[in-house]
Amino acid sequence: MNFHAPALWRLLFHVLSPRPADDAAALPAPEAQARLVKSALRSQGYPRPALVQLPEDGSQGSRELLLALSWLLARGPLLERLLAQIRVRLGDEMPVCECEVLASPGPPAPRVEADGCVDIRHLQWLMGKLRFGWRNLITSQQEHCALLGKVHSYTRGCHSDRSLGHLSVTEAELLRDPEGGRQLLRRLESENARLEAALEWRRRELVFWQWMDTVLDACPPEASQPTFLPRIPERGAGELELVARELQALQEELQAVVETRRAAWEARVGGWGPGWKATQRASEEAVRQELTALQRAWERGGGLAQPHGPHRLVRSEAGTLGGPGLRATEVIKALRSQEACLEAALRQLQGQCRQELARLVGALPGFIWILPPGC
Amino acid sequence: MLPAGCSRRLLAELRDALDACAERQRQLERSLRVSRRLLRVWEPAETPALEPTPGPDTNEEARPPARTPSPQDLKELELLTQALEKAVRVRKGLSKAGGRDEAPSRKSRSIVSPATTASVPPRASGQAGRRASETKPPRGVRQTTVPAKGLPELRLLSVGDQTCKARGAQAAKPEPGLRDQQMAPSAAPQAPEAFTLKQKGILLRLPMAFRKAASQNSRLWAQLSSTETGDSMDATTTAKTQFLRKMQSGWPSSRLCAAEVEAEVGRLRKACSLLRQRMGEELTADPVDWMQEYHCLLTLEGLQAIAGQCLHRLQELRAAVMEHQLAPWPEGRLPSAPSSCGGGADSIWSPQLLLYSSTQELQTLASLRLRVAMLDEQIHLEKVLMAELLPLVSTQEPLGPPWLALCRAVHSLLCEGDLKAARVTLKLF
Repeated sequence: MNFHAPALWRLLFHVLSPRPADDAAALPAPEAQARLVKSALRSQGYPRPALVQLPEDGSQGSRELLLALSWLLARGPLLERLLAQIRVRLGDEMPVCECEVLASPGPPAPRVEADGCVDIRHLQWLMGKLRFGWRNLITSQQEHCALLGKVHSYTRGCHSDRSLGHLSVTEAELLRDPEGGRQLLRRLESENARLEAALEWRRRELVFWQWMDTVLDACPPEASQPTFLPRIPERGAGELELVARELQALQEELQAVVETRRAAWEARVGGWGPGWKATQRASEEAVRQELTALQRAWERGGGLAQPHGPHRLVRSEAGTLGGPGLRATEVIKALRSQEACLEAALRQLQGQCRQELARLVGALPGFIWILPPGC
Repeated sequence: MLPAGCSRRLLAELRDALDACAERQRQLERSLRVSRRLLRVWEPAETPALEPTPGPDTNEEARPPARTPSPQDLKELELLTQALEKAVRVRKGLSKAGGRDEAPSRKSRSIVSPATTASVPPRASGQAGRRASETKPPRGVRQTTVPAKGLPELRLLSVGDQTCKARGAQAAKPEPGLRDQQMAPSAAPQAPEAFTLKQKGILLRLPMAFRKAASQNSRLWAQLSSTETGDSMDATTTAKTQFLRKMQSGWPSSRLCAAEVEAEVGRLRKACSLLRQRMGEELTADPVDWMQEYHCLLTLEGLQAIAGQCLHRLQELRAAVMEHQLAPWPEGRLPSAPSSCGGGADSIWSPQLLLYSSTQELQTLASLRLRVAMLDEQIHLEKVLMAELLPLVSTQEPLGPPWLALCRAVHSLLCEGDLKAARVTLKLF
């Protein structure tokens, strides 16, 4: 009964971690995998403490691990998500948002942890390197788009699927390189087999859940309170603090502005009669509605006005833009407004820094703060 | 020199950013290599020597795993072979090249082929093969395996193929209207007619096996994405909910887990920037009458209230994290799948289409996306640097040259970020 524990640990590890890079050398040892699984489940809120207490050598615990797997399956579209992650991409895809990129960091590079102090000039150098890197990135991206455009326009009319119209780089590649094409076909066929298996699973899932119910009932009741290991604050806590500080600063600024304006207002309308009460209420209602709409932009599950996810590029000369699909012009509009917001935010932050520095230096006698030109 | 803790944290941040940038660059380079290779002359595929017509033909159609041609295909091949043989015979008596019309008369096509010098035939023979494939789109590759036995000329010509291709020169003039393949041999330059996407791309056809698999793939994905509501689906959903409830029961666990805390902190961060943006709009607005002024005041008061609520929520989260030790364990964290992205209620797991109309548009879109990502990162770095460096300036006592140097450096890092650094002029590639 417990022979399955090691396999289940491995399975959970692969399910919980995004697809690692193609080097198997990056896989941690089984004990480390088990620890990471515990950590990940814990951070997602796995309710049963028995998992924490399982030995990491795989000698026991297969029932608990099975329950953990079922818990993950029950909570969300796990199968579909995993399948989508390893999907064979036939088209030239471009993400229209940056969410995916930010959320899945690449494999952490081995880092020489120099615990020494650095000169601030080293930081300046790194910053310059970063800016240069971004410039290169944008240039390379421009070239890539130009090449994609060429491939798409040179192969227009070739695709059997009329809504696509032209070949993608992947498809043209398979024609250029027959061996690669055969491999692609094999991958596609095995994906189809996986998809059919997933659909089959869906049809018969109920039996699994009925069974899991009995498994859960067969568990001995938990007696002891869970023991939590002491934790060391990670970057996550840092993020919370940063946001807290920002909100605090924002609130103080608003408070200052509001106080002065409200006082000025009261002074002005102090003598006004009750006649304008109705207009007052109308304004209040309008503002309330506006702010509710604003709040919806960040509330959970709300305001997904932005397009998300990777999209397959389809070149469609103006005039034939009839079919379904996102239009580049719309995405460009959304991105431009995002860009404007972010630029404003950055300028504001830089201004804040400038003021603060000027204040710090200005407070000292005998110093004059001369800004470089253009600032 | 900066203190150790500060150095470590800032170095980590900057190195993370550099690693991420390098990774993106690597991925782009990979894609660039593939695309550049596609747009060059296609090398003849490494095929076994048995293939009678190596060259442009074979490059266009991927050969599916070995399968026997159907009797109909064999018959068609035979017809083609006969037609070509006849053309060879006819050509011997003719001196003019075939006409320009597009009639799928294989004869007129092949008339060109044997009459020309060794330099041109690669194109012509390619054309013959391709023409056949054009007129019979559902057939995959079988035309390419034109049995060599009946066509000694063609084989000779294709041998000429190889030597000419070695030069790899592009044909001097792109044919006007790629469908109009017919050109007088004299008009064709001496340069060999190697396969390029630019000139012949339009003639490509995807192999049958691939097309079948691809359409099945999209059908299956559509099925998977559809939210069927049948009795069985409802029963399954109920069973799952019940299971989850049973798993949870008995444990007064906090409703918050680390992943949820993280998600909520992200939402509040977004809230903060949206609130601030709105505040900026209100402060710069110029009210024309008292009603607008009142509206503005109410908005600002409302923003203040919301900011207070968010702050309160954040403090609740902070307390929950402290109390329940919700932070991830020291061993490190497995990055979880993004919950905000990847669709909402109706998640479609296969990619949707993005239609663009010109290369310029595509480039604008791509560079804007990168710019947004870059700005996001810059803002994050700015906040981190502010948090670490400004306190240093204020607390460092010695006011000598080192402190001044620090001030200058801090200023350059924090205030002189060139917003326009990454705006690039669109180069024409």
